[in-house]
Amino acid sequence: MMISRGERLANYAVLAVFAVLAVYPVLLILQTALSNDQIGGGGSFHFENFADAWDQGQFGSYLRTSIIVAVLVVGLSTLFSVLAGYAFGTMRFRGSEVLFYVILLGIMVPAEALVIALYFDLRELGLTNTLVAIVMPQVAQSTAFGTFWMRAYFRGSSREVVEAARLDGAGHWTTLWRILVPMGRPALTTMVVLVFMWTWNEFLIPLIMATDESLRTAPLGLAFFQGQYTSGTALLAAGATLVALPVVVLYLFLQRHFIRGMVEGAVK
Amino acid sequence: MALAAGRGPGEPRRVAYLYILPALLVFGLFVLVPLARTAQFSLYEWNGLGAASWAGLENYRAVFTEPQLRGAFVHALVLVVFYAVIPVTLGLLLAAAMSRAVLRGMGFFRVVLFLPQVIPMVVVAIAWRQIYEPNGPLNDVLRFVGLDALARPWLGDYTWALPSVGIVGTWVGTGLCLVLFLAGMSRVPRELYEAARLDGAGPFREFRAITLPSLRGELAVALTLTVIAALKTFDLVYVMTSGGPGTETTVPSYQVYNNAFLLGRVGTATALAVVLTLLLFVATVAINRVGERGQR
Amino acid sequence: MTLSITRTRTGLAAAAAVALLIGACAPGSDNDDDASSAPSAGDAATDPSELGDVTLTVWDQEVREGQTEQIEALNAAFEEQYPNITIDRVSRSTDDLRTTLRLALSGDDAPDVVQANNGRPEMGQYVASGLLTPLDGYAEAYGWFDRFPESVRALASYSEDGATFGDGDLYGLPQMGEIVGLYYNKTKLDALGLEPPQTTDDFVAVLQAAQAAGEVPIQFGNSEPWAGIHEFGFIQNQFSDAETIRNLGFGRPGSSWTSEDNVAAADATREWVDAGYFVDGFNGVNYDSAWQAFAQGTGVFFVGGTWLVADLTSAMGDTVGFVLPPAGASGQHLVTGGVSIPWAIPANSDAKEAAAAYIDFITNSEAMTALTEAGNLPVIEADQQTTTGLQSEVFAAWAQAGEEDLLVPYLDYATETFYDTLTVAVQNLMAGQSDTQQFLDTLETEYSAATGS
Repeated sequence: MMISRGERLANYAVLAVFAVLAVYPVLLILQTALSNDQIGGGGSFHFENFADAWDQGQFGSYLRTSIIVAVLVVGLSTLFSVLAGYAFGTMRFRGSEVLFYVILLGIMVPAEALVIALYFDLRELGLTNTLVAIVMPQVAQSTAFGTFWMRAYFRGSSREVVEAARLDGAGHWTTLWRILVPMGRPALTTMVVLVFMWTWNEFLIPLIMATDESLRTAPLGLAFFQGQYTSGTALLAAGATLVALPVVVLYLFLQRHFIRGMVEGAVK
Repeated sequence: MALAAGRGPGEPRRVAYLYILPALLVFGLFVLVPLARTAQFSLYEWNGLGAASWAGLENYRAVFTEPQLRGAFVHALVLVVFYAVIPVTLGLLLAAAMSRAVLRGMGFFRVVLFLPQVIPMVVVAIAWRQIYEPNGPLNDVLRFVGLDALARPWLGDYTWALPSVGIVGTWVGTGLCLVLFLAGMSRVPRELYEAARLDGAGPFREFRAITLPSLRGELAVALTLTVIAALKTFDLVYVMTSGGPGTETTVPSYQVYNNAFLLGRVGTATALAVVLTLLLFVATVAINRVGERGQR
Repeated sequence: MTLSITRTRTGLAAAAAVALLIGACAPGSDNDDDASSAPSAGDAATDPSELGDVTLTVWDQEVREGQTEQIEALNAAFEEQYPNITIDRVSRSTDDLRTTLRLALSGDDAPDVVQANNGRPEMGQYVASGLLTPLDGYAEAYGWFDRFPESVRALASYSEDGATFGDGDLYGLPQMGEIVGLYYNKTKLDALGLEPPQTTDDFVAVLQAAQAAGEVPIQFGNSEPWAGIHEFGFIQNQFSDAETIRNLGFGRPGSSWTSEDNVAAADATREWVDAGYFVDGFNGVNYDSAWQAFAQGTGVFFVGGTWLVADLTSAMGDTVGFVLPPAGASGQHLVTGGVSIPWAIPANSDAKEAAAAYIDFITNSEAMTALTEAGNLPVIEADQQTTTGLQSEVFAAWAQAGEEDLLVPYLDYATETFYDTLTVAVQNLMAGQSDTQQFLDTLETEYSAATGS
């Protein structure tokens, strides 16, 4: 459709304004992270702030915990979701409807409604302050979403392909792993990316479930660093950059998956 | 739907239970059991350490009568305006304004506009705390353009603290809505608009007759995401204001944490959590009902 | 610590959780095992080198300049002396420690040493719930009863049920003395041609002069609302008498928040805010920004605790001074304070012996000298240290407070929830959200409910 040059320019102007607003806080953090940490000191590009923050804020330890937690949550929930999604999407069995709706319910339950009771029950079992306490509640919530997501994929997957595999003598197990999973890589990637982001950014569950310093995840470490580090803002901003970096880099590489996932998986 | 069963090897009918077993197990243990226990806890008075005593519905009465707890829900509703209503309205208007053109470079804008969604909330909170500082960028700008009277310590101001927290939600949500709606609009056949224009429809009628109906689905998605985010706000308040000044920015999730783990009122905290869950539930279902009806 | 998740572990958790569900027991009903067994003097081993390899997890809030310096030095010295003990230090801001301590103490895997605020909102609650170890056995073994005067020990003593504060078993030992006095910028005061204020009238006169000269009279940041407790205490000290404030602060019956002197204190607070004596927008300024602004020359006065001595000395050198609060209605320089946050041993610690040895080590005579050198105020033996500059003014004020019995407690000690109540109430009062009447009624309601007076 033909539109005037002026209108086109106006459209770009609007987009540009919102784009600037969207990145401004990010740039502010970056700029602060590179500023002089001494009160009233000058100069820019103090890259040593990152190293200082890394040491003083123990971000090495926090980031390592975050990575371990993310790998476990993503790994386990992906496995469980693929299996369950396969069954819900391609098989018929008694109670499947009810069970699926129960799981769907889990997508809507907020962590707030789980963590308090879970904390006290796990404490009774001596399981607080362990990776289990941080990881498993998130696996459960992510599996709820993942099952919903993978079911949609398996439902939409080509029936001909499945039939053909069957005629070739492939069992349901082989069909799943040899044919459907490789074909479903885009859907899987999207799910993995979303679950990774949610896990990385999660705050409440790790806040409550573990008080051991070696089990603090990066966002928590950052929140504590904010209170503990009492002079200046440069190191705090440097720490914030370190915490945000992994998920932002992943986003820049896989942005289509992020956007598609958020948009289509909106129930979560 | 006919896919299922068949006569395939391995009798898929029963083996399905094995496939769903791990998911159900973990889901049952870490979602269903805690949920039931939460509901149970909410009927007791317990400080989290000693013995509990039966309290009936007393905790729920507290949630609805104690000004600080009730206030938290009021604040959450105010946040819905900032997190959901403003971004959705803004997104719709902008998308409509841009509906007539196919723009190049949309990929770039989409990436940038969507960015706030992926950044950890703690980082977002730290960035915005800096923006709102008494001598921070926001006040600098206001003073620069001569609006000195408007400059204030935003997060310490009784009137402005809650809206200031809300604006952060607006920032997070607006890009999402815009991206969603632009994607939705690009699927609307151009011919519809051409036809409407030939009929002499103005921009307003065009919006009501074509744009809005075709975006129902996206609208439901956008509202679901943003309303849930608003009602569940926790990290932002925990890091930015701790509920202050006074109790002006407390929210339900913050009160859940505060009551359970600082004040030792586990019953009250779980009752709050139950009410919050029901609220989320009702909101999600209502939004999607409206969304679905629209599609018919 | 489980850094690897195994199937068995998950399976165990699963089975146990199912058992829990089936049992459907009321929360906490089977939670009666009392872990807080008090050691007697006999079985408290006082030679840490014989304890074998121990990792001691220590949670502290020593994050300011002089604090970090002293604790790092002492930790290093301790580890050097006892190579078999490794210290795993976790430091937090006071606020973050407060919000996570309860969770940490109640877990099986509790830290071995923690700093727990001695007021009822923290230590009182923990004692009542059996989360802290009574230290009397260790105190006898290590001679703490001689090292610390009764007045210091009372500030960390509770009855076993946590109901009585100031008497009973010892639950913690402080390292430092603490008073909330008046820091002033010497350069600015000189420029105004004025002396540090001795009375409330003097003080108001200086505030007015400072304001007239275009200075910010009092620098203040109250976005972490505990600062407001100090600010209001500073004013109340000039309008009430010691007896009243001690009753209110310790949560003892016999006084009233709505008495005339407290009305006068609250009124004065409002008047000073309205007169613009405090920096604009203090509710949105955080504490650290506030003292930094004061250090950089914005503000003639800063009401603050002795924990800032090292920070302010490095930032301002000899241009900063410290005095006790002006004498008001009582004619005395009453000052809020007492001891720094005491070091305690969680009931669930699995290294109590080593923990006691550690607490002994960081509160002995050498430690008092070490922490003085790092710019702090030692809780005992302050008169045996040599100091200069700001630190010597602080030491003089501390000595005077001791001699003249001027110390009054932090007001949030009063009841288990008084920290929350008071911080919100002071913010509301100072922001003009509530008037004197509402402010005092809120506090009186909670105080009288707790004391039954």
